[in-house]
Amino acid sequence: MDLLKYRVKTLFKYQDLIKELVVRDLKLKYRRSFLGYLWSILNPLLIMIVLSIVFMNLLGKGIENYPVYLFTGRLLFDFMKSGTTNAMKSVTGNASLIRKVYVPKYIFTLSKVTSCMMDLVFSIGALVILMLVTGAPFYWQFLLTPLVIIQIYLFSCGLGFFLAQLNVFFRDIQYIYSAVLTAWMYLTPIIYQIERMSPKVQFFIKAFNPMYYYVAQFRDLVYYGRFPGPRIFWGGWVMAVIMLIIGIWSFQRSKDKFILYI
Amino acid sequence: MSKYAVEVENLKIRFNLASEKVDNLKEYAIKLVKHELMFQEFLALQDINLKIKKGESWGLVGANGSGKSTLLKTISGILKPYEGSVKVNGKIAPLIELGAGFDPNLTARENIFLNGLVLGHSRKFMEEHFDEIVEFANLNNFLDSPIKNFSSGMKARLGFAVATIVNPDILIVDEVLEVGDMRFRRRCNERMQQMLSGGTTLLYVSHNIDSVKNLCENAVWLDQGRVRMTGDSQTVCEAYKEEQERLTRQKKLEKREKLRREGKPYDYLIVGAGLYGAVAARELTRQGKRCLVIDKRSHIGGNVYTENMDGIQVHKYGAHIFHTSDQEIWKYVNKLTEFNNYINSPVAVYGDELYNLPFNMNTFSKMWGIKKPGEAKKKIAEQIADLHITEPKNLEEQALSLVGTDVYEKLIKGYTEKQWGRDCKELPPFIIRRLPLRFTYDNNYFNDRYQGIPVGGYTQMVEKLLENIDVLLDTDYFEYRKENPNMFKKTVYTGMIDEYFDYCYGHLEYRTVCFETERVEEDNYQGNAVVNYTERRVPYTRIIEHKHFEPEEEKENPKDYTYISREYSAEWEPGAEPYYPVNDEKNNALYEKYRALAEKEKNVIFGGRLGQYKYYDMDKVIGAAIAAVRKEVEPKL
Repeated sequence: MDLLKYRVKTLFKYQDLIKELVVRDLKLKYRRSFLGYLWSILNPLLIMIVLSIVFMNLLGKGIENYPVYLFTGRLLFDFMKSGTTNAMKSVTGNASLIRKVYVPKYIFTLSKVTSCMMDLVFSIGALVILMLVTGAPFYWQFLLTPLVIIQIYLFSCGLGFFLAQLNVFFRDIQYIYSAVLTAWMYLTPIIYQIERMSPKVQFFIKAFNPMYYYVAQFRDLVYYGRFPGPRIFWGGWVMAVIMLIIGIWSFQRSKDKFILYI
Repeated sequence: MSKYAVEVENLKIRFNLASEKVDNLKEYAIKLVKHELMFQEFLALQDINLKIKKGESWGLVGANGSGKSTLLKTISGILKPYEGSVKVNGKIAPLIELGAGFDPNLTARENIFLNGLVLGHSRKFMEEHFDEIVEFANLNNFLDSPIKNFSSGMKARLGFAVATIVNPDILIVDEVLEVGDMRFRRRCNERMQQMLSGGTTLLYVSHNIDSVKNLCENAVWLDQGRVRMTGDSQTVCEAYKEEQERLTRQKKLEKREKLRREGKPYDYLIVGAGLYGAVAARELTRQGKRCLVIDKRSHIGGNVYTENMDGIQVHKYGAHIFHTSDQEIWKYVNKLTEFNNYINSPVAVYGDELYNLPFNMNTFSKMWGIKKPGEAKKKIAEQIADLHITEPKNLEEQALSLVGTDVYEKLIKGYTEKQWGRDCKELPPFIIRRLPLRFTYDNNYFNDRYQGIPVGGYTQMVEKLLENIDVLLDTDYFEYRKENPNMFKKTVYTGMIDEYFDYCYGHLEYRTVCFETERVEEDNYQGNAVVNYTERRVPYTRIIEHKHFEPEEEKENPKDYTYISREYSAEWEPGAEPYYPVNDEKNNALYEKYRALAEKEKNVIFGGRLGQYKYYDMDKVIGAAIAAVRKEVEPKL
């Protein structure tokens, strides 16, 4: 219990550092670009337009307001993707610092996922614009989206911790993971509807793909304007917590060995 | 609260060094299948026990890889102990690398905040101390430029400023202050001193032993992960330094041994272990050349050789008093060995009279009972005028025309005749060109700015010169050359130049002296190191009493015996020990012929008194050897 208290205390003590690291990431990302933070909104919109044009006729048949459908899925997946990828490199990337000063190492991982979440918030702004432009209806359930964002944030943190510690020992995890991500993307109903898949595939996705849970919840709230079913709602929480526990446990177990490998 | 700031107990740090660095899954899998996955255990630190009280300053010394940084990192929490424990009471400011964690793309202002937060300060705290940091780092004008444009010195300044804003309880410094300009280093030192006097505990690592001695009261010497020595910094640093020097020497010795065993040819063969040869060998070795010094005598040092006889350094080949006006040379020899402050003031005995040398007011006063320089000048001028010598035909007339009758008769005539073995009237006038007369009461024989004799004798000085150089004694050059023609590439020859060319133009002549050394059971035989005997009927030219060359040694260890050497002049004949070249017209012309031959020997440098047939004082010979080496190694255009 004391240990937990101590952990919370250090986290509290380093909260300013996390903030600063998040701000640094955002600053560096958009510094010296003409449109600045506007890119956070423009970028996903532009990609979305391209994707919509490509897939509209191919997969979008029968889906009402395909751009919004596509965007709600992509939004979450992009956050998970960039959050975990950046988190994976967070320990090795700060090697010079970790070798010289004592800083709790999870700070770096946490701050990476957090700064990606800030991007997600900007992207939600883009979503709002898109919905206005396409004349999509707004539901009051939109206001419940933070519930989903928290789930996916916890999940990404967990996965990020796991990958970050693994990457210290095996640098080629990066390449393996990027292949995994591509497959994962196609196994998540982002550009297509899950109902169009064969029952076997549907079962597989629903059983093993956490991203399905978050994308589905998010779409329920934003796109369909309904409250998600208990299976995907509670399933999402359980998966997030399990992932977080796995991540923290693996990170905790090997963090003292990092210095020997970076 | 504990009274210790840092407590280290039985600390062991283990690194799992993979015999080959495997940092990816592919290789890991391959090695796992092939059973090649080997880990080597490496103990970076073991059995470390260290208790540091609050307010103490500790230095860590040790060779590279001895575990200094590992220990500091363990104390600052970066590394975790494998076994044992580290307890730290207080706030640590680690200065392990200044500006670690600066993001090159952020501005100085942003980096100050980031760095401060990394060190565990809150944002509010940083805002409060921001101005103070900027002021110390003195970077006001560059606050908003990205740090990637900063020089390493500027970064270090900023890093130091951020790291030391608080007065930490424990300051850890790991060789970070070696960068930056003088002013910055001074300010850092001031700040550190200030913190120390404020009760901060200091842990300091540096390769600069002097700065450890200056800053720290205590020191730990780490050697291959273990504590070798703990104690006050002076003692530990000295011991460490000594060990380092010993290791360097040993390494050189081993390398020498190896090359010798392999029979690898030397770059230079140096013939003669006298001053010229020894200096040339040392300078060539310093330039990375491999030298072998041979000498046909059974000792090194040539004519400057001094032998320890019952605790007295006996100048075996005549009195050698080092004197020079060349500051560089004086520094050079003083780096080799310590010199005493001996000043040569010989006296001359003529019958039952005793005079000071060189000819000065003491001499004249005694001779004529006068006091003033004017009187002496007048006396000498009168004596010279009475002689009516217009064109001196021989040495006697030459000397008389320079100093007058009394000084010549009593102090020059007999001595010179003994030296040359013939009558002054038969000697050519050019031998004495000048006879300096001094109209002051100054008995210092030499006019040079620096003068002295190496404490402990000349031999140890030459030993120092020949440190780490191969030496073969009792070896004749001509035999060695015949037996080992391929053992050397070039030669520095300090023997007789005529002998080198097998006397093809005939013998060069030398003046020679011989010595009769004797132990006398008396604590003080003559009261002076050098006493000249100027009467012709006394067979020796002078007596040297060696203990007076080293008054400091006699003071420390008084002896009730003494060693004296009587010096005789002898006629030189081929085979005798050559001392002084006779630089008369005949011999100089002969030498010129040999020199022309020598110039054709491209791989031989002729040097020294015998190799160049030239009278050299010791300082001049050292200078000549240094100059010759410089000319030899400088890139040929």
